[in-house]
Amino acid sequence: MVNAFSCLLKKKVTETRPLPDEETERLGREIKQEIDARFGRSLAIRELDAGSDNAAEIEINNLLNAFYDVERFGITFVASPRHADVLLVTGAVTHNMEIAVRKTYDAMPSPKFVVAVGDDACDGGIYKGTYAVLSGADKILPVDLKIPGNPPTPTQILTGLLALMRTAGKKP
Amino acid sequence: MTSQVLPDDDAATGAVRELFGAAAVPARITYGCNRECSVDVSEPEFALAIPWLASRKFVLISLFCVEGFREGAGHFLLYVFERKGSILILVRNITGARATSIATIFPSATWPERECRDGFGIGFDGAFDTRRLFLHESYPAGFHPLEKSFSNTPITTTTTMGATTEYQFRTVTGEGVYQVPVGPVHAGIIEPGHFRFSVIGETVFNLEIRLFYTHRGIEKLAEGKNPHDCLKIAEAVSGDESVANATGFCMAVERSSGITVPDHAWYLRTILCESERICSHLGDLAGMLTDVAFPLGASQFAVLREEMARENERLTGSRFLRGMLCIGGVNHDIPADALAGFRDFLVQFRKQCKIGLSIVLSTPSVIDRFSQTGIIKKPLLRPLNITGPAARASGGAVDVRVNHPYGTYDRFSPAPHILRDGDVLARFTVKAAEIMDSLDLINRVIDAMPDGAIKSEDPIRDGCAFALVESARGQNLCWVWVQEGKISRYKIRTASYCNWLALEHAVPGNIIADFPVINKSLNLSYAGTDL
Repeated sequence: MVNAFSCLLKKKVTETRPLPDEETERLGREIKQEIDARFGRSLAIRELDAGSDNAAEIEINNLLNAFYDVERFGITFVASPRHADVLLVTGAVTHNMEIAVRKTYDAMPSPKFVVAVGDDACDGGIYKGTYAVLSGADKILPVDLKIPGNPPTPTQILTGLLALMRTAGKKP
Repeated sequence: MTSQVLPDDDAATGAVRELFGAAAVPARITYGCNRECSVDVSEPEFALAIPWLASRKFVLISLFCVEGFREGAGHFLLYVFERKGSILILVRNITGARATSIATIFPSATWPERECRDGFGIGFDGAFDTRRLFLHESYPAGFHPLEKSFSNTPITTTTTMGATTEYQFRTVTGEGVYQVPVGPVHAGIIEPGHFRFSVIGETVFNLEIRLFYTHRGIEKLAEGKNPHDCLKIAEAVSGDESVANATGFCMAVERSSGITVPDHAWYLRTILCESERICSHLGDLAGMLTDVAFPLGASQFAVLREEMARENERLTGSRFLRGMLCIGGVNHDIPADALAGFRDFLVQFRKQCKIGLSIVLSTPSVIDRFSQTGIIKKPLLRPLNITGPAARASGGAVDVRVNHPYGTYDRFSPAPHILRDGDVLARFTVKAAEIMDSLDLINRVIDAMPDGAIKSEDPIRDGCAFALVESARGQNLCWVWVQEGKISRYKIRTASYCNWLALEHAVPGNIIADFPVINKSLNLSYAGTDL
């Protein structure tokens, strides 16, 4: 039988973070400043795969691991587009996803921002001009920022988000 | 194509002798460069062969259509069977774009038949499922993108969906049965797909999966391309299987062209393949633990995965090991001192893995959630061609590296990790053991690394060939046909494509809250299925 009080008094199981990563720390601080100033301390992001090869998803997921841990900067990934400020679109928009992409965007409350992540989302990439895709995300959504890369690294995605934060206040 | 003498006990050759007479063995068989045994069959012979093969435990591992293959017009259906490490291909020439379905005998033919219908407009008589597969309802009727007559240009689709044109899910009716639709956009940061649960109370009664939302037209995209340019496409099949799919593509082209890859290059390729497997498995372990709300364990593996990704970048310049493989070998060498550094890194890495595993496996609440959850029963393996760690966790001794060794795997064979339970815990344990095994393999390969060239400069020749590779998720099949120096058909079938049907069988009987962990324990690639 475990005594509940002994749990409270026991030493907490924690570890020091793996690597002090100066680049990430600096980016994080700057993003946090911008989010605090413009988004009331919290930026809600909805990720949307419109036809990617899952590499970009993996890198976006990596933003949540202990190396980056972006939640401490005020960035949260939300389950519903209704809670989101930013839509991160990955992959060239396929015909099979077109309706779902439109519905997801429409479900977001204004003001809302769209960021295209990866070469395919930026302009269609290797799929440009083929039967199965419409092209990049800007074909059907108003894209505010494009982050190129195959796929972009977590640091590049963070850099992109910082750039978005800086321009976000100027959006009419 | 090269002919070679095979021992008599080869299952595929034996099947041909049994089915078509002793005379057929030398006369009608063409041995491919992968020792696969290929036979052209007439319709009556085909009808005779199918039940016979089913009764002799042959597994249908792929079925696909090729237009204008061999002399003569029309469509050719290639049925690829596997039995005891030998491969039998039945080539069936069909006329009038109609063929008989074999889906009731070989359930693993269901999706491929629907795929042939969408891609080439072939009707299958007697098929029990005639719904569309990768072309969703928004595509116009009569559109078949894989036909040679269609040049790959943008098309117009409908963007509204009426009630009559909507996809018809299997309906399960009865008192208290209700449906839970999930997707295509999911709550997490994952790929799109639709799951339709029929639920009684909390227990899932039936699950139907609808995929192909990320259908990007990979196979058509490769058509007419220079094989060297096609590597980018192979790497884009599925991000976390970039190396495996590039290896499969390279192997197919190398085999049909008679290119011998230098040993040094194959050793490097093996390191890349195994590193990719480690990354993928670590992601799975972390994901499974996240889905049972055990972040302490999950973050151990997420950290290790990130460390591995950084190490990959240091060695190859890409966190996903992209751009390394080329036809004939590898693009860049990895210097010996970098490899030595990698080996030192792996020593620490292994220790950390063990710590992570001991935390997880000594936590009763995790074991409780994993154990007896999402069971895949062994009798399902053969009819559905379930492959990879999912099959090995259910008692199947299937591993391409062991059954059809390629590259250096004849010298560096992985230890088999086979469990019988078939539940999430078994898949977790198998994947954890395979990480350790891959670490060993990399160490052995680095120790034995020979000097030499990194690629062969031999030219690419016309021809077609198969390649089977073991990706992190299991057996990936790749068939490449080069004509006049250009890709004429690139067929790829990933392990995920097979294992999705396993998920439909693993989930019923579990509560809906266990679905995420069962899904993650299989960790199937949507992109690799949708193509």
